[in-house]
Amino acid sequence: MRYVKLKKEKIKEFLLALQDYGELYAPIKVSEKYFDFRKITNEQVDEVVLDYNRTLRPPRRFFFPEKEVLFTFNSKKVEMYENKEAFTSEPVVLFGVHACDIVGLRIMDSRFIDDQPDPYYRARREKGIIIGISCLPDEYCFCNVRRAEFVDSGFDLFLSEVEDGYVIRVGSVKGHKIIDATENLYVEVTKKDSDDLTAFDVKKSKMFTVSGNWDSLRYTLELNDEHPVIWMRESEKCLGCGNCTITCPTCRCYDVKDYPNLDGETGVRVRIWDSCQFREHGLVAGGHNFRPTKESRFKNRYMCKNAYCKEVTTAYCVGCGRCTYFCPAGINYKQNLIEIRGGI
Amino acid sequence: MTEELHRRYIPDGQDNLYDTHKCRVLRVYKQTEMDKVFLFRFIDQEVGKNWKFKPGQFVEVSLPGIGEVPISICSSAMRIGFFQLCIRKAGRVTTKIHELKPGDIVGIRGPYGNGFPMEKFFGRNLLLVAAGLGMAPLRSVFLYAIDNRWRFGDITIINSAKYENELLFARELEAMRDIAEAENIQIIQTVTREDSPNRLKGRASEHLDKVMIDPKNSTVALCGPPRMYKSMFEKLVEMNYDPRRIFVTLERRMKCGIGKCGHCNLGNSTSWKYACIDGPVFDYYDIISTPGMLE
Ligand SMILES: Cc1cc2nc3c(=O)[nH]c(=O)nc-3n(C[C@H](O)[C@H](O)[C@H](O)COP(=O)(O)OP(=O)(O)OC[C@H]3O[C@@H](n4cnc5c(N)ncnc54)[C@H](O)[C@@H]3O)c2cc1C
Ligand code: SF4
Ligand code: SF4
Ligand code: FES
Repeated sequence: MRYVKLKKEKIKEFLLALQDYGELYAPIKVSEKYFDFRKITNEQVDEVVLDYNRTLRPPRRFFFPEKEVLFTFNSKKVEMYENKEAFTSEPVVLFGVHACDIVGLRIMDSRFIDDQPDPYYRARREKGIIIGISCLPDEYCFCNVRRAEFVDSGFDLFLSEVEDGYVIRVGSVKGHKIIDATENLYVEVTKKDSDDLTAFDVKKSKMFTVSGNWDSLRYTLELNDEHPVIWMRESEKCLGCGNCTITCPTCRCYDVKDYPNLDGETGVRVRIWDSCQFREHGLVAGGHNFRPTKESRFKNRYMCKNAYCKEVTTAYCVGCGRCTYFCPAGINYKQNLIEIRGGI
Repeated sequence: MTEELHRRYIPDGQDNLYDTHKCRVLRVYKQTEMDKVFLFRFIDQEVGKNWKFKPGQFVEVSLPGIGEVPISICSSAMRIGFFQLCIRKAGRVTTKIHELKPGDIVGIRGPYGNGFPMEKFFGRNLLLVAAGLGMAPLRSVFLYAIDNRWRFGDITIINSAKYENELLFARELEAMRDIAEAENIQIIQTVTREDSPNRLKGRASEHLDKVMIDPKNSTVALCGPPRMYKSMFEKLVEMNYDPRRIFVTLERRMKCGIGKCGHCNLGNSTSWKYACIDGPVFDYYDIISTPGMLE
């Protein structure tokens, strides 16, 4: 791998340079408690937060937007015309992506690119640029037990913090090109930097509140399918708002709707994020619902998130902590998983 | 794996996975009060020629402006360029489809789903059991078996519905009786909720003792509500049908049909499945290792 070092005082210049590669998005503070990836203009470069905890909205939205027109149609001619926006739009340069979110994107790819590629997602993803950044966990994080606290790939550049700057790992040809074009920003990586990286990792691993590996959790969960208290007790608190799925970096459910225009002939076929926490998700014609109760929908999310993604060889949940952090009912997903594991 | 992504080659003008082929309605006939059978032909004959499906697969029928619905193909997989759908008026989209007349056009994408593994059925007897709308996908299996008669042993088909006037393809099966007899094909039609002349009374599972084929060396395909599967399994296994050769189809809410939209998901954390790509045909062991399948 190729490594270069970016000194702290050069970060601003680095961010400005990134704008040459597409629309730059980076984490900024949007409220008392929340961060979000927002579009960065020249004046906003100073607002970029390098040590944020987690963003409200997950990175997948840049490649799989909340709402997107798939086709325009003519209902008289029964014809559909592909919406070209995804193919012609500016590339997204996403700066400051945490390791767990990079694994999350890779999980998205496994469904939207690996088997039968979704053309819209693939077009955006392939031209997109991912710049990762190292982070330290808070009490909501458990990416370590998900094997998502460190990434070897899935990024173009990855910035790891050292005492006076960042060691940048170059993960793709695009990454090389960016580094080549901005060569004057960097210095050589030293032995001290390498030691700093190790020290950072040691510090990080000590900060997690759980340890080990939760791969076997999917079995534990299944064996506790009929757990006497947890499903009922926790799902009763749930408001069914869907925040947990909307903020999750790996939730992919969507609905498709046709919106005819007033002329009664043309219109758009749109896909919109959906949530398994909504009652309509499993509802079919005639009124039968495959997940009729709040408890069944609640359990469905736990089962889905802890299933095995064979392409990425991890669980679909990467342990980012969003579904707990942003739950208005205060449902603690991580704590519930610990309880199901028998308190460990 | 951004690196890997960037290297992938995207061919120009590649098909959009959600795009449809235009198909023309050639014929519509009423099957029951709620069900109509539609015969379709691909407008682009090149597409039609190369369009093949397996019994048990489904298509997404698209009416731009109204929506899309998954529907099983009910015709024989041996006919090229044409296919039939038997559609029940159940809601918004299906009501609009019922208004279609010969000459009208719909969008079709598919075929989707795994379908029945017909090759595995070769050389064995075949027991087909349908309840209600389950006769639609099962008819495709049945017609396939007839078109490939020499590949199968004895065949029994049980068709059931609540009422006589809901029994799908009842007249067609009746009309086949003579040929069927000569071909060692047994046809049983039964109605559960009323007495009907010419029909047996009761559920399909109550007539298993009348089935003439030898359970050993038989394959079973069941299409109906999950309730039926539960009662069938017990009886079939008791009668020495091999559990490995019992197949069912499952219905779930479906939007995309290709494993993307998540609506058809089922199972638990170690057996997470999408009915549209992992199914809709599942075997006995899928069912017992996937909680919630029969709900
Ligand atoms: C694999 C498969 C095969 C099927 N084969 C047939 C068949 O051969 N003949 C037939 O008449 N019906 C079949 N169905 C059921 C048929 O898809 C529904 O009746 C139809 O989707 C109802 O749509 P609607 O818009 O008329 O009803 P609405 O209640 O207005 O439904 C609105 C939307 O919900 C979804 N939806 C509702 N019910 C279902 C359902 N049961 N399954 C999937 N999505 C649903 C659809 O996206 C639909 O557009 C099949 C379903 C599946 C999953
Ligand atoms: S965020 Fe919390 S309240 Fe909202 S659906 Fe998820 S678990 Fe329920
Ligand atoms: S399930 Fe919760 S903790 Fe896991 S990846 Fe999704 S939002 Fe993050
Ligand atoms: S129907 Fe969309 S995932 Fe199965």
